[in-house]
Amino acid sequence: MSEPNTTLQSPAREVPLFSMSRVWTLAISTLTQLVRMKTFYFLFAFAVLLLAVGNFNFASSPAQALSTVKKVSFGAMDLFAWLFAIVATALLIPRDIEDRTLYTILSKPVRRIEYLLGKLFGVLIVIAISLSVMFVVCAGMIQWKEMGYIADEIGDSTSEQITEDTRQAILLIQKNGFHPELAIATLASFMKAAVVASVTILLSTFASSSLFTIIVSVLVFLVGHAHTMATNFWLAETDNSIVTQMLLKLFKIVIPNFQIFSFSEGIVQGATVVPAAIWQMGGLTGAYLIVFMLLSLLTFVDKEF
Amino acid sequence: MKALLQKSPRWVLVVLGLAVFGLLRAPFEDRMQNRMIESNLLLPPPAQDAVQQMSQSALMGTLGGLRTLVSSYLVLEAFGHFSNKEWEDLRRSYAIITSLEPRDENHWRDVVWHLGINATANMEIDESIPEFERKRRFNEYALLAVDLAEQGIEQNPESTTIRQQLAEVYREKLKDFCATARVYEELVGLPGSPQYSDRFVGYFLAKCPGREREAYDHLRRLYYEGDFNHTASLIVEIKNLEEKFDVLPALRIPDPYPDLPGGAQRQP
Repeated sequence: MSEPNTTLQSPAREVPLFSMSRVWTLAISTLTQLVRMKTFYFLFAFAVLLLAVGNFNFASSPAQALSTVKKVSFGAMDLFAWLFAIVATALLIPRDIEDRTLYTILSKPVRRIEYLLGKLFGVLIVIAISLSVMFVVCAGMIQWKEMGYIADEIGDSTSEQITEDTRQAILLIQKNGFHPELAIATLASFMKAAVVASVTILLSTFASSSLFTIIVSVLVFLVGHAHTMATNFWLAETDNSIVTQMLLKLFKIVIPNFQIFSFSEGIVQGATVVPAAIWQMGGLTGAYLIVFMLLSLLTFVDKEF
Repeated sequence: MKALLQKSPRWVLVVLGLAVFGLLRAPFEDRMQNRMIESNLLLPPPAQDAVQQMSQSALMGTLGGLRTLVSSYLVLEAFGHFSNKEWEDLRRSYAIITSLEPRDENHWRDVVWHLGINATANMEIDESIPEFERKRRFNEYALLAVDLAEQGIEQNPESTTIRQQLAEVYREKLKDFCATARVYEELVGLPGSPQYSDRFVGYFLAKCPGREREAYDHLRRLYYEGDFNHTASLIVEIKNLEEKFDVLPALRIPDPYPDLPGGAQRQP
């Protein structure tokens, strides 16, 4: 008779309440998942758009041509960032449920907040990479065009032969050309996309389908972007009753103000960057992310799949 | 807390959380938004009449935070109107563009150029329109360009490009040299203003009835500021005024009449 096995198994290692490395692992797996969904292919479309706009010959002056290239490319970057934030975030959780990855993940010692944060960070990494690539392409294009226009203005003249008019024209081209502050405009688009992604995660914890999440998120985005404009319009067009005012107040409180995140437009048009404002916007973005993730957790924490 | 979490429906707690966060952030966001509009980082909401004139797609784009894309599209559309000489449509397009991006001086400069220079030039030569109507429209477009330039300057007080374009309309189309001199006077001292602005003040004051003496004093002052101002045009203008005022030879500037291309500057 053999002796009973008396060796005891060591007690299960205590799982820490929160682990950043688990969040990071989930973020990287989300990044891989999104890359496999061929999300970076849109960068080709962006490059084609940039080339097309760069070669349109409708502007009345080189300065205006540069201004148009900047506005269209940074506008397209902003559009991509928020649209991608909505679509990618809305697709991720339902897809994990559909292919049963979610069950595998949640059966491991992974907290639900870590799962949500991992998904959010994965989306944000993809957006950050895409915006950086687009910024580099865009900066290259603007600088190339700027140098071309300046060379055209100078022609064969030597520096002593340059007239006052030419000097003024060059200054105007440089004013509308590339500035390092444009990187802050890209950061503004990223901040907006981050808030949009956190709102979408909250909605996707409630929603039953990706389509519903996408539609509602786009609506929230539009309302959040327009409520200042709509409020002015509505108050001017209606009897300005207490009910109208209450309704508008409710919208303002519940829906995030996305208009405030559109400061990339001002920077692209040459406004001076105020560092304090950028820091405050960074803080506000952080506050949005924390609050919306906590609210998402509230619905996701004991959700059964 | 646990009991509250278990008993209350989750959506109620979420709405409550959103409302509390909304109440905390709204005053901060309002202050921040106003500060950012003041520092030109954010664009002010477009004017109501511009919103009413927008097509549905342009309005949706504007609502969706795509103001710069919508305005770029409208600039393309306006260029089409310019190519087809559809001046009224061009005017409507720019009414929306300038309302969407009031702080982009290029838009104001372009609309002033289109209406003040191109539309008026078209009225001078378009023989398909009766002459009295051409004259009426010529004045209408030129005055409209002036009005738009003033609106643009109000939005962009330091703009040199809008003022340069306005001066061109006054000079070339309205032949109002007193107003031209006034605009060049405004240009002097603005950041990035052309160096010639100060000289042009004198040239156009000289053509403004009753202000010739002022022009003479102004141009002499520039002449004695240094050699860099001794351009042929400035010397000719001073010499013409010296002739006009019959200035004593000892008080005249030492330069002879320069040889200008065409030689048309010298007065008899």
